[in-house]
Amino acid sequence: MSKMLLASIFQLILLLCISPLISGIIKTLKARLQMRRGPGIFQPYRDLNKLLRKQMVIPETASWIFAAAPIMVFATSVLVGLLVPMITAEAPLSLFGGVLAVVYLLGLGRFFLALGGLDAGSSFGGLGSSREMTISALAEPAMMLAIFTVALSASSTNLSEVVRGAIGQSWRFLVPSQMLAFAALFIVLIAETGRIPVDNPATHLELTMIHEAMILEYSGPYLALIEWGAAVKQLILMTLLINIFYPFGLSLEWNAASLAIGCGSYLLKLVILSVLIVLVETTNAKMRLFRVPELLAVAFVLGALALISTFLF
Amino acid sequence: MYFYQDTQFGERMITLMAALVLVLQIAMVGQRWLVTNIRVFAAQSFLLACIANTIAYYNHAPHIYIAAALTFLVKVVFVPILMERLVAKIDIRQEIEPLINIPISILIAGGLTLVGYVVAESFYHPKEGISPATLGHNTLAVAISLFLIGFFMMINRRKALTQVLALLSLENGLFLAAISLTYGMPLIVELGVFFDLLVATMVLGILVYRIRETFDSMDVSQLRRLRG
Repeated sequence: MSKMLLASIFQLILLLCISPLISGIIKTLKARLQMRRGPGIFQPYRDLNKLLRKQMVIPETASWIFAAAPIMVFATSVLVGLLVPMITAEAPLSLFGGVLAVVYLLGLGRFFLALGGLDAGSSFGGLGSSREMTISALAEPAMMLAIFTVALSASSTNLSEVVRGAIGQSWRFLVPSQMLAFAALFIVLIAETGRIPVDNPATHLELTMIHEAMILEYSGPYLALIEWGAAVKQLILMTLLINIFYPFGLSLEWNAASLAIGCGSYLLKLVILSVLIVLVETTNAKMRLFRVPELLAVAFVLGALALISTFLF
Repeated sequence: MYFYQDTQFGERMITLMAALVLVLQIAMVGQRWLVTNIRVFAAQSFLLACIANTIAYYNHAPHIYIAAALTFLVKVVFVPILMERLVAKIDIRQEIEPLINIPISILIAGGLTLVGYVVAESFYHPKEGISPATLGHNTLAVAISLFLIGFFMMINRRKALTQVLALLSLENGLFLAAISLTYGMPLIVELGVFFDLLVATMVLGILVYRIRETFDSMDVSQLRRLRG
């Protein structure tokens, strides 16, 4: 029991500390690739620090939902983070729920974010919320299919079981079903974190924005909570991707050496995935909103193919 | 014995490449640009040549090497160059306009894959174990899916040139079925097929050019004006 508590606290700290760093690394790498100098990798920490100390401006029309949304977004993200194996194969709260809990807790956070966008009463917020819901309604089936593929080969929807099953088979990521599922989940990651072919994370006032439109009315600590929650969510999705498909270095027992190896390889894998995301973001142009369903249809079909090929090959 | 001499490794590589071939076929359904479509077709054919090479290596069958080399020469190098030149020459608008919109087309392609798998399942007996002789048998489903999706693409597209492309990808499915089930037909048949394909592409290229000259469009639905 005390070990579980310790593991929870350890993972919580890791989650909260690393997530802004990963956002910072992605931003810096992107700037360097576009021949700009860009902010340092610690910029998101400074932003959060600044926002947390600022005063808030709350619209007069807003109800209690406006205040509840940032807290819900942050709380669901952190809770999901404890359900996912990060550097040990055993997730701290893995007994409480598996993949389905992960998907639907993220869904709950998204629901409250959309409500918060609507609640402020500005037309931008409503637009952003409706777009976000459209995209997530399309991304969710693709994500479920990809995750079911992985769950099938481990015959469990518990993420710790899935990861433990994957550690044994060293060449598993070359199996077609795993590769297809990885591709599907990667597209979902791009869509869910609002990255470039789907949404542009770098703009603040543009008619095509999605995530930024929803949080336009937020300021101060609430904005900090939402941004931090979004960073944690991004970290969780990346962790899912790297640990399910490439579980090298995950520590199976609790001792200093294997934990250190786990930490090191986890960070290394995160950086590699960040580079991949940056490459995708730099080489693509933002899609028109009505073309986004095409991309997500591709993800859906990739997930379906992955599921089919589990039974055949 | 090196790891690449293990039949199991060969089996794995073949399934991987076959899955990529299928993904590329669906990418062709979802792709809007004509030139990209041609390049995707070239990549798909290249993977097919690789599959043929792998099967030839494990079965020590020299005639499959020739088929693979021919695939490479004709479908990866010659046909794409010919078609890209044609695209440049007739100066068409580069966008493909399918009859059914793209997300639904992609979903239909996914459904057709399912049909392919269901059909192929009755032929597939995994209990025989892996040996060089059964290598690649499990790609029959991919071959049937390629065939069905190629057919769908031909129906779905208006422009003559894109229909030619769909026909070629359909032929890729046939080639995959032939190479994975029978280790290639006799070489003379294979040569005949390639020659046929080459001539068909060239003739169709000229035909497309003529259609475009006469009708100022490649839209085959306008061909009914021939009656009057």
